[in-house]
Amino acid sequence: MSTQDKVKINKLPTGVPGLDEIVGGGLPEFSFNIIAGAPGSGKTTLAHQFVFANATPERPALYFTVLGESAIKMLRYQQQYTFFDPSMLPGCIRFINLSQVVLEKDLGAVLLEITKEVEKSNPAVVVVDSFRTMVRKPQSDMDLQSFIQRLALFLASWQATTFLIGEYAEDELRDNPIFTVADGLFWLRQTAERNSIVRKLQIIKLRGQDSVPGLHTFRITDAGVQAFSRTFGLTAHKRNPPSDRRLSFGVPELDKMLGGGVREGDSVLVAGSSGTGKSVLATQFIAEGIRQGEPGIVAVFEERPQAYAERATSLGLDLETPQKEGKLEILYLRPLDLSVDETMHSILSAVQNIGAKRLVIDSLAGFEMALSPGFRADFRESLYRMIFALTGIGVTILSTVEVDESFTEFPFSTYSISFLTDDIIRLRYVSIDGQLRKILVVIKMRGGNHAKDIREYEITDKGVVILGKRLTNYQGLISGIPVYSDRPKSPDETSLDTGMEHKT
Amino acid sequence: MSLLAETMQGRIMTASPQMRDLAHRLLAYEASAAKTSDPLESPAHRVYEKLRQNLSTFAGEAAFESLAFRALTQAKSETSALWAVKVAADGSLQGLGEIENQTGMDKARAGEGGIILIARLLGLLRIFLGEALTLNLLSNAWPGEAFDDSNSAHGGKS
Repeated sequence: MSTQDKVKINKLPTGVPGLDEIVGGGLPEFSFNIIAGAPGSGKTTLAHQFVFANATPERPALYFTVLGESAIKMLRYQQQYTFFDPSMLPGCIRFINLSQVVLEKDLGAVLLEITKEVEKSNPAVVVVDSFRTMVRKPQSDMDLQSFIQRLALFLASWQATTFLIGEYAEDELRDNPIFTVADGLFWLRQTAERNSIVRKLQIIKLRGQDSVPGLHTFRITDAGVQAFSRTFGLTAHKRNPPSDRRLSFGVPELDKMLGGGVREGDSVLVAGSSGTGKSVLATQFIAEGIRQGEPGIVAVFEERPQAYAERATSLGLDLETPQKEGKLEILYLRPLDLSVDETMHSILSAVQNIGAKRLVIDSLAGFEMALSPGFRADFRESLYRMIFALTGIGVTILSTVEVDESFTEFPFSTYSISFLTDDIIRLRYVSIDGQLRKILVVIKMRGGNHAKDIREYEITDKGVVILGKRLTNYQGLISGIPVYSDRPKSPDETSLDTGMEHKT
Repeated sequence: MSLLAETMQGRIMTASPQMRDLAHRLLAYEASAAKTSDPLESPAHRVYEKLRQNLSTFAGEAAFESLAFRALTQAKSETSALWAVKVAADGSLQGLGEIENQTGMDKARAGEGGIILIARLLGLLRIFLGEALTLNLLSNAWPGEAFDDSNSAHGGKS
């Protein structure tokens, strides 16, 4: 059979920001779906968003309510959401209450009532809320199975896309016939993690569609449900091939150490203890990008954007003008119950809005603290997905991380995330000649050669300034407590030191 | 306290002028559309029945019955003409027609009772669903009638 002979399944918009991406482009038309979850998990709101996105006067939506919430109360609350358009009721969206039939009659009568209303309205969308209360009355398994099968067949024949909403527990997944019949199964979960509520959505099954597996964070705001795909909405994007282009740090000596600069699309980690100049270096990196016509995003977690920009001014770097010109955005992300996916959504939106080429995350520790406790356990995995997604579209990421200064070790990161980074630059204090001085070394560079030198630097009113001389007369510099060594210089060292001034 | 605020808190002593106006219009519409000679089928009763049928389908009999009972309680506090009227379990109204045809009862007073009851019911709908949705539901029950404010004797929104 050729591709042309195959039936094409239309994809309907879910009306839920982020969910279309998760379900593989939209919900399959005429599918029979279940939305399951605990009370308050957003099932009804999700169904309403789908209904408002798809109902028309010609092909309306029928919303059958059963014993739970009355339509009057439901609509009182639902109309608070921004997606709710009162003019669509009752022309496009019709609410029909089935409580009486359910209470007084059997499932056969319920099916008859639904059939009658569907034949009368020819709906594009049918919702039964809550289906669980409809089938809660004792009935034989056969009755229930037959009812579900006939309902599914009937609604599909009438070309309706259906949602049955129910408060199901996960241990019911195995035995309940409804889950076998369903084409799509959406599971909404909410758990309390310390003082935060963590909401996650899973597409357990979706026939005929390549949905994104796993648990996706979602949030309920005044705009309704908003989902955050684990792939950050980037599944449609192809990964950019590795670039040979080098991006300058704005610190010429450092660029030289990096073999010409950071490779475009790399993930760079700048690690060091407090006060070593990680943020300064990050600011120079972003400012240099803007100077070269590469828009940038700075995600800050530990200080306000205004303070960040003012600190840049003290280094002679103007971050105010590019912000006004739409070339730079400083994002302050600090609500305490944030998920990585939501943070990513904010960052990604900003990246897309201004066409950012460089991103600074300052710092990873601040980022982790901004997350809900429930998401911190997955921080490393989430970070991996985020970095992979962003570098894949050609964004060069510089993350700063604070590491404990140890005089016996030389750690790169307390998060063990060095495997996520292409390049690592380590800053540290070192005790020399009765002074606490600073040294810098490029630990790793995935895309090419880099200098092995350990260089001393200072933070001046021009930012990070690498001092001219490689520190050749000390042994054990990375221990932080070097020992002076007056061994004779090799010809290579002599040539390197010659002509090196203290310059940036 | 504003009229709207009082209405929202259910403390208002009389049906709001806007809702009375709307009730008047519905009754007038039903009076002119009436073809039945059944003496029990007063315009107020027909308006009530249309609301009952539409709202019972929309929200269920139990939900409508609760609203109707509340509306009747409010209306009874406003007029003694409704003293014998009751709401049945299915939400239907019992006794309104009998009162309106009762000998000795002032016709105008009996008619006023119906208007107050409908106005109270509409007022509750507006409180719970908001004006836009309430008017949309009325448009569905009375497809030929326009319910925008320009047709209202009281004009602007409350």
